[in-house]
Amino acid sequence: MRLTLHVNGAVHEIDVAPTLPLLAVLRDDLGLTGTRYGCGRGQCGACYVIADRRGVASCLLTVEQASRMEITTVEGLAKGDSLTPLQQAFVDLDAMQCGYCTSGMLISATVLLANEPVPDETAVRDALAGHLCRCGVYGRAIRAVLTAAEASR
Amino acid sequence: MSGWGEERPTDLAQRIRIDPDGTIEAFSGKIDFGQGIRTAFAQIVADELDVPIERVRVVLGDTARVPFDFGTFGSHSVAQETPHLRRAAAFARRQLLERASRKLGLPVERLDTREGSVVSDRSSIGYGELVNGSPLAGPIPDDIPLMPTERHRYSGRPMPRLEAREIVTGRATYVADVRLAGMARGAMVRPPARGAKLRSVDDSAARRMPGVIAIVRNGDVLGVVAERDEQARAAAAAVLADWHAVPVEGPSADVPMRRDAQTAARLAGAATRLERTFVLPSIANAPIGPSAAVADVRAEGATVYVGTHRPFGVRDQVAKAIGLAPERVRVIPMITSGTYGRNSQGDATIEAAILSKGAGRPVLLQWTREEEFAWSPSRPEAVLEVRAGLGADGRIVAWRYDEHTNVHTAAGLDPQVLGVTSGRNAIPPYAIGTAEVTLHIEPTRLRTANFRSLAAAENVFAIESFMDELAIAAKQDPLAFRLRHIDDQRFRRVVERVAERSALAAAPPARRGRGLACTIYHGTYVAQVAEVEVAASGAIRLLRFWCVVDPGQVLNPDGVRNQIEGGIQQSASWTLLEELRHREGRVVATGWDTYPIATFRDAPESIEVLVEGDEAAPPTGVGEPGAVPAAAAIANAVYAACGARIRELPITRERVRAALAPR
Repeated sequence: MRLTLHVNGAVHEIDVAPTLPLLAVLRDDLGLTGTRYGCGRGQCGACYVIADRRGVASCLLTVEQASRMEITTVEGLAKGDSLTPLQQAFVDLDAMQCGYCTSGMLISATVLLANEPVPDETAVRDALAGHLCRCGVYGRAIRAVLTAAEASR
Repeated sequence: MSGWGEERPTDLAQRIRIDPDGTIEAFSGKIDFGQGIRTAFAQIVADELDVPIERVRVVLGDTARVPFDFGTFGSHSVAQETPHLRRAAAFARRQLLERASRKLGLPVERLDTREGSVVSDRSSIGYGELVNGSPLAGPIPDDIPLMPTERHRYSGRPMPRLEAREIVTGRATYVADVRLAGMARGAMVRPPARGAKLRSVDDSAARRMPGVIAIVRNGDVLGVVAERDEQARAAAAAVLADWHAVPVEGPSADVPMRRDAQTAARLAGAATRLERTFVLPSIANAPIGPSAAVADVRAEGATVYVGTHRPFGVRDQVAKAIGLAPERVRVIPMITSGTYGRNSQGDATIEAAILSKGAGRPVLLQWTREEEFAWSPSRPEAVLEVRAGLGADGRIVAWRYDEHTNVHTAAGLDPQVLGVTSGRNAIPPYAIGTAEVTLHIEPTRLRTANFRSLAAAENVFAIESFMDELAIAAKQDPLAFRLRHIDDQRFRRVVERVAERSALAAAPPARRGRGLACTIYHGTYVAQVAEVEVAASGAIRLLRFWCVVDPGQVLNPDGVRNQIEGGIQQSASWTLLEELRHREGRVVATGWDTYPIATFRDAPESIEVLVEGDEAAPPTGVGEPGAVPAAAAIANAVYAACGARIRELPITRERVRAALAPR
């Protein structure tokens, strides 16, 4: 099926099965591998993207559904070479180890800060609760989000 | 295709290369899984060579470029590798000074280095110019003078990891992100249980499905290669395979680890005796990214892109699986999801190589979440029987410890290996009088192997919980009781410091408790205090953690803190939540719903890590020690909070309620 996808401000014409998960199309057809496969069931948060201003698991969204939405992936967060305050805070606080879950965390934290520019710690925990991190950087990630919120006040 | 032989890496050319543009490449067979060793190595090399760190590129684990390395295990990477790299870089600097001396006609004493150049009072030559056409080489002397510490610009200073920017922009290339020209996708056809033998295959329907390139069978390994991932999976599901189930059990062995005479008699004669059993279930490594590999196998040689702890070991495994000489296989380690030991096995890599050979195309194989739980090796179960006798003065006079567990590595039953793997930290770091310590390896149908800290986390859970119980039995304070049995000054210091820092002696509010645990793990001293709150329901909330660690000389203090924090967070998840259920050798868990791990909501309010390394001592590892005492610290805190002594993990609310129920 021919579909049009709007991803990171660019328009992509693709011809794929409409039931494919957006995740597969991002990674295999658009070369956007920053969005990661973790479970395929929406349980780990590694594949989150922003779809019409909400954070969603791209493994649960069909590419046909996605074709009616504005999609932003982790590659679309920074403007050119300049990191967002959130990305910068993750770098500065070393809020990552292996980094596999980082893309997803950045997506949900970006959505959080767009809706609630100065969240408290509980709001950060709740916003990121769907993102599993096995290396255990939760504490640093919470501080990074709070630091970014502080920086953009 | 392979660069150098497997002799000890002592030639400078194997370690440091300088490009004409002044870029420095440093080579190591170690692997970075997020523990920050790439950055730590860059710091060392930049300091010894006196160059800005941005000019240093650290090449890790590429078997065609780096010297042979046995593997990245046991938190030893920095410790083993630091002196080699440091000497190599220092030797490179001396050669550059000598070359500049000849070129300028000035004695070396009148030259110095600055920012990647050799300088005299009136001239300056860039390193690139000095190596142009004539690479640095020669045996690295053991006694090469090193850069004085006061001239270090990077070592010992906090520094964001070099890959961080790539990660936050999504540009970092993980194994499953590798894209090669003509690359196809693989999917495996799995047996009903481990060890099943393939009787026959009917792939007639699968062969005709869209995109299918090949159905590949090699012994009991069966898989599909197709143009697209979803095509490969659909076809794999359509392959009809007839399996013959053969139950597989792990090996068994008894290994005496310590045998002091008179232990039984001294136990029998002790003034106070205590005997306890501690139990830990199997748990999963559970990386967030399931295993993946890319293989490009051709007649003349193969290249594989992998996540691995031991690139040269995987090289040999792949070579054997596809019938090539090891030097014709190049292993290129990529950044990978943290795996905590799981990647010591080259499972996905071998499968991808078999598929690529069978299909004649480069193949990316991405395991599913279900496959990761079902087929990865896990941490073995452990039953730990410990008994001790105290003298009339309240000191331990005799100790007996029986550890019942399964193999912790794929290394088999070599007693020398078992003692340091499955028996790791079975001997307490205390003065325990006469002792008998025995490791019993028992069979299991589960596939068990390398796991963060191997058996240390199990043994230290038992030993440190038991030390608290002994102290209480002897009506002594757990801190003072431990200190009475510690001879090592560095150990004493971390224990005293964590007690002080956490105000261990102060009484916490109602329902809260603090627990202490400590150990020495491969030369790293670590002491922790956990604070928990236990609700009337038995539910446990982990509130705070304090940790003091002495890993000897410290290169990157914030990197150490990050590793220790992560170890504590992961260990808290093992301790409070995790149990890998299995039946007939088959893992029950299929996803995060059936194998929950700690989330953002479970993370403690704070984990304070004080890095207080003894700068006079060589650096030791920090990737694992943080995870080792945490379970006992939590269990001891639960006891302090509510009086429930939990000797079986995970510490669930049901177990707490049962422990508190009137008998």
